[in-house]
Amino acid sequence: MNTLRILRDLLRYNGEFAIGLVLVLIVAAIALCSFFSPYPPMDVYVVPPDIPPSWEHPLGTTSRGQDVFWQLTFAIRNTLLFGIVVAFLSRIISLAVGLISGYKGGWVDRILMSINDTFVVVPLFPILVLFYFIMRDEMTWAMLAIITALLGWAYDARLIRSIAMSLRTREFTRQAVFSGMSTGKIVLQEHLPFVLPIVFSTTMNNINWSIGIEVTLSVLGFTDINTPTIGGMIYWANQHTALVSGIWWWVTFPVLLVIMLFIGLFLLAISMNEYIDPRSRLSRLGGQA
Amino acid sequence: MRPNLLDVENVNKIFTRGGLVSRRVNHAVNDVSFSLAADKPEVFTIIGESGSGKTTLAGMILNSVAPTTGRILFQGRDLREIRSRGARLDFMSHVQAIFQNPFDAFNPLKRVDRYLFSAAQRFTECRTPKASAERADEALHKVGLSLAEVQGRYPHEMSGGQLQRVAIARALVSNPSLIVADEPVSMIDASLRMTVINLFKKLRDELGVSIIYITHDLATAYYISDRLIIMQKGRVVEGGDARTVLAAPQHPYSIKLRQAVLSVDDAWRDDRVGAGVPAVAT
Amino acid sequence: MIAELRAIPSPDELNAPQTSPLLTVDRLKAYYKVKLFGVDREVRAVDDISLAINRNEIYGLAGESSSGKSSLIKTIAGAIRPPLRVVEGSVRFAFKDGERDIYRLSPQELSAIRWSRLSYIMQGSMSVLNPVRRIRHAFEDFALPHVSAKGADFTRLVERHLKRLHLDPAVLQAYPHELSGGMRQRVTIALATVCNPEFIIADEPTTALDVIVQKGVLSMIREIQQEFGSSVLFVTHDMAVHANLTDRLGIMYAGRLVEEGRTRDVFKKPLHPYTAHLISSLPRIGDEAPKKALEGSPPSLADPPPGCRFHPRCPFAIEICRREAPPMVEILPGHRTACHVAQADPARVRTVA
Repeated sequence: MNTLRILRDLLRYNGEFAIGLVLVLIVAAIALCSFFSPYPPMDVYVVPPDIPPSWEHPLGTTSRGQDVFWQLTFAIRNTLLFGIVVAFLSRIISLAVGLISGYKGGWVDRILMSINDTFVVVPLFPILVLFYFIMRDEMTWAMLAIITALLGWAYDARLIRSIAMSLRTREFTRQAVFSGMSTGKIVLQEHLPFVLPIVFSTTMNNINWSIGIEVTLSVLGFTDINTPTIGGMIYWANQHTALVSGIWWWVTFPVLLVIMLFIGLFLLAISMNEYIDPRSRLSRLGGQA
Repeated sequence: MRPNLLDVENVNKIFTRGGLVSRRVNHAVNDVSFSLAADKPEVFTIIGESGSGKTTLAGMILNSVAPTTGRILFQGRDLREIRSRGARLDFMSHVQAIFQNPFDAFNPLKRVDRYLFSAAQRFTECRTPKASAERADEALHKVGLSLAEVQGRYPHEMSGGQLQRVAIARALVSNPSLIVADEPVSMIDASLRMTVINLFKKLRDELGVSIIYITHDLATAYYISDRLIIMQKGRVVEGGDARTVLAAPQHPYSIKLRQAVLSVDDAWRDDRVGAGVPAVAT
Repeated sequence: MIAELRAIPSPDELNAPQTSPLLTVDRLKAYYKVKLFGVDREVRAVDDISLAINRNEIYGLAGESSSGKSSLIKTIAGAIRPPLRVVEGSVRFAFKDGERDIYRLSPQELSAIRWSRLSYIMQGSMSVLNPVRRIRHAFEDFALPHVSAKGADFTRLVERHLKRLHLDPAVLQAYPHELSGGMRQRVTIALATVCNPEFIIADEPTTALDVIVQKGVLSMIREIQQEFGSSVLFVTHDMAVHANLTDRLGIMYAGRLVEEGRTRDVFKKPLHPYTAHLISSLPRIGDEAPKKALEGSPPSLADPPPGCRFHPRCPFAIEICRREAPPMVEILPGHRTACHVAQADPARVRTVA
């Protein structure tokens, strides 16, 4: 009810949110279509190859004999899921590190922040490629998600820490301490609500970031190319020199779809950030920040 | 013989800032000692301006800041020995705090009653929500409120005076024997201030709670305190019976402070027609 | 004592025909209008206020937080930003070079009178002084566009002004953090008065200061007012400051002016029950009598009670107070109040003290 009303208000009064939501819903709908696909995703030569977009195959077919539309439904589902899993895992790490480091201060803060800074300066891409060469066949989709999440939390943890540090000096934190609340309770119940707006907007950005990583790695072939993803599709298109032989639909539609997702998530991030900001939320409740 | 409620013995606090080359030392609290007796509840006032070290001293009494040298005993027990979470909770159930800004003392996104319930669950025998609610209601009645008025309300729905009374009720949940109040009325509107000040008197007289009242305002200090100390740059420059000290301060700084108080009654004493415009008095 | 500096009207002045006041606020209504996700909210911060401030006086304005006093001074200074809007009424200044209605001015005209005719002293000096620039730059930034003197002449003018205020011109070379809080506030006052403004708005200028320096800053404001013959609108919630500094005093409660008169009259014979309570509840050194607290809380300006806004807390409230808002009526010479009870019997309220 309350959440529904918030959604209704956002849709009515916030253009960015409406556009973003429509874009993301379109992408999600396409991903859901994968469950109704007439062709198994891994099979090749199930349809005649290299047919341009037509009534029968709306987005054409690939040189490998796959229908681009149905292939795309699997690819975007896996890519989207990858982004969500990475964002979810890395949010948990950055929240835990940021909130505890900011609240505890002292030596806890120093240790956590030195780990944090190490992850900030570590060159991400070479590490991922290195993992691929070490693990080769064990480099599954889930493994890649975990590794990317482990490398993607550090910036936001610093951001969360800086908010937690300012919250620590607020009087209501001392009130909580003198009410006998434990560290966990203070961090999770008193401080977390103030950090959530940041977490929401960084989640969207983090999904975008991790999808970007996944697409880049897949295009170069540094992932498990048998799982269909957007990057994987472009990889196969390149292998068959699709653009040179004029099979443009094999590359264009995956790229358009992923750009749609990027823009949709970005618009959601900025509009939700404006809405969830504690100050504007307070003025809605009728109080003063 | 029963130990004193509180003994502050030659307490010093030194903050150092800066690196190896340019080290700056701030002697925030310099050799402060005083005691509060166990059997005689009183309002003990610490007067000081900004930078006098009064807030650091309060932090040390509340065991959130450790003294550099010297020791603080609560009921004969050194605060340094309080380490474990259990010991801390036990200490906090006896020594409670009230803060300066009632509008910041409650999380603006949370209901105010959660602090009362938390205190009831952590500091007392109340284990069920019903028992905690009764305990909170009892504490709220001591400050002239009731749980029905407070339950489910957010801080922005209440006035500063009400919030400060809820904060005092929250401190009273565990039946403490000492309350440290750091500038508790400086952010409260004039028409609500007396409600809070009178409440401190009531706590002392009817509930036997000793109060350490920290302020820069000599007039309210005169109104409620039994004894006081005046601090300047970390040192206690004068101390003793509140009425005596404020009526006839001895130390040059106390005299200056006393003279700086704007009096309402004296405002028109020199207001004679034809007095002319003399040079600026300082 | 600052009281020695109080402007005392000589008998001649009292008999002289009343010249037009410098500032006239007429039936001013300024509301915060907020539209949040389709829901309109209206906060009546300034509700039907009329007052006049004469030349050569310090007019005090007292009120609690959310009494609307800061919204009132924002409207008087012409610093109205949405969501604050002037709904009705006018604010007119009768400057020496002509009368001006503050809402009829273009932004250029408004910025031309700022600092030169109308000046503002704020609570926090650090918001005026840039922490990484010397004080000299602050004077150049604010005052240079408003004076004809340039270069060395300007420096001489600033130094002369500082000397007149008993400040060492060496402060011009200092950075803000090198000065004490009291000295910084003196510098911001010097900054606000360097162009000899006719009207100065002082918004809680001593609230953030230590007690010991407060008195000196107050004497400085009085001295400037006397020397330049300007008018000061002095806003603070501290009644003791009003008693010692201001000539006339207006008391605000919940967006309305409830009492106004000579400061001395207001303190000696308060007519409104709210004023009477404020004065009687002031703790005084040497006075051990128990002080009574006022029940209840100030009302929300978004949803004020009907009738007199003070009636839910008023010990004298009668039937009419619950229905009709009392008008501001002059009960004693120069002493107005908005209270049904005081208008019926002026002696009644005083007994509360």
